[in-house]
Amino acid sequence: MKHLKALNKKAQQLAEAADNGNTDEVVAMQTVVGCAATTDPGWEVDMFGSVAGLCQPMEADLYGCSDPCWWPAQVPDTMNTYPDWSKEANSAGSDWRNLDAVYPADEE
Amino acid sequence: MVKYLADTQGLAPAEAEPYRYLIEQDLNQVESFDPELAVMCGRCHSSARFALQRRTEAEWEHLVHFHLGQYPSIEYSLYGRDRDWLHLALTQSVPELAQRFPLESESWAQWQAADKPELEGRWVLSGHMAGKGYLYAIMTVVADKKDYYSLSLAGRYANGESVSGTGKAVVYTGYDWRAQLQLDGVAMRQVLAADSSGNRLTGRMFQKEQELIGMRITALRDVGVSQLNSVFPSHIRRGRSQTLLLTGTQLSGEIQLPAGLALEEIVSRDKNHVAIRVHAAKDATTGAAELRVGPAILSGALVVHERLDALSVEPAYGIARVGDNGGATPKVQAVFRAVGMDFGPDNVAGTKDDIRLGYIDDASWTVAPWDAAAERDEDVKFTGKMDPGTGVFSPADAGPNPLRKRSTNNAGNLKVIASYRDGEQDVTGQAHLIVTVQRWNSPPLK
Repeated sequence: MKHLKALNKKAQQLAEAADNGNTDEVVAMQTVVGCAATTDPGWEVDMFGSVAGLCQPMEADLYGCSDPCWWPAQVPDTMNTYPDWSKEANSAGSDWRNLDAVYPADEE
Repeated sequence: MVKYLADTQGLAPAEAEPYRYLIEQDLNQVESFDPELAVMCGRCHSSARFALQRRTEAEWEHLVHFHLGQYPSIEYSLYGRDRDWLHLALTQSVPELAQRFPLESESWAQWQAADKPELEGRWVLSGHMAGKGYLYAIMTVVADKKDYYSLSLAGRYANGESVSGTGKAVVYTGYDWRAQLQLDGVAMRQVLAADSSGNRLTGRMFQKEQELIGMRITALRDVGVSQLNSVFPSHIRRGRSQTLLLTGTQLSGEIQLPAGLALEEIVSRDKNHVAIRVHAAKDATTGAAELRVGPAILSGALVVHERLDALSVEPAYGIARVGDNGGATPKVQAVFRAVGMDFGPDNVAGTKDDIRLGYIDDASWTVAPWDAAAERDEDVKFTGKMDPGTGVFSPADAGPNPLRKRSTNNAGNLKVIASYRDGEQDVTGQAHLIVTVQRWNSPPLK
């Protein structure tokens, strides 16, 4: 019995895929060492072990990750740990080159 | 400071051993860990990251509270919001962590009391570099002061390319070797562990800037004893002749091969290597073959086989990351290797009689779309380039790409295909490669 009705084109595609048995198998917690296995929707990989379900381009939603501390092991969280991380980049989409990686290279 | 803490509050060799892949930066592999701790503690970072720590129960509890205060999404991101995370963490995870990874342990007490080896001397080192083949090198280690060494390395890859350079090493906790080297202008790292005798070092050597580009290495110290370290290549086919390079220390005396293998010629030899031309009879026993040079024995390193049935591509699932393009994070390359497989007398893959042949160096490499979405989005075109000769994938630039649908990143989902021409047939194997976005937070232990 269906409780949800698809209203837009993407939802209809999803419903059709489910009806036709074309959905991929969820591969929970199966990712490589150090990647986020919290796949909602995922940083490196989505819950199907792919990238098609990720927020893309990543920059479009980057501050939606850093502000609420989503993927804190991959993205500096501005909530607590790196409050000024995005200070020099008002728009991640156009200013992403101003964002630093938070671990500097080791010394020679 | 780090060395003092490592020496006085570090991990015993046995405690670190199961999780050394994280320290060695051997990251393109899927962790196998107890699912409860993996989902509670290892879903943002590796499970090895906590398994390489030792704490009292109270300190493990502090760590839980620290995580909740510092990273509150732990309770409401996936696998947090579907359970009473804090209650489970405090009542189940903490006692289990305290029991499995306690501050005080028998192995640490024994290691603190043990004699710690000095690692000065002349070492015979072997490894395998994708695109270059097997490495045979001599590493000379001189002590500057206790636990601090200077080293020089000189060797040659199977493709004839020579390699040399110098560096410095520090030994932490009496066995954990960290070296920085310049090899022919390339900054390299060694993360090795000495065994209890101090005469064997194992671990990884890799490029500082591309940590996945490297090799597992084994090094034996010359202590005046005849020992074999390695044989290259690690397979010989029935009915064929093959040149084998054996390496070791103080190698002298008669070369003895098992029945079915005949010595055709000694190509060259000295105390650290023996290069021999060997013929395998058509009825030679398949499987592991024991090699002897004088008193030195090498078991299980060479296999005799009948066919090349398939290639197994390693890793089976890997990740590369876009980077550079003016941003702060470099591209992260991925490397794949082809391992030959003989399905054994039953000719069925995945059964007990399968013979793993070791690396097949002359495979050629391509990538293809993993699925229909990858084909539709032209992932092969946008995500980067596979080097056809080496199996090294170099990802494309970071940043939104206006040429892609919705200006998406150069991420993608690829099939890696290795192919080798074996007589009249093409033998192939494949793996899965995800090209994904960069990390902005990239600690040494991920």
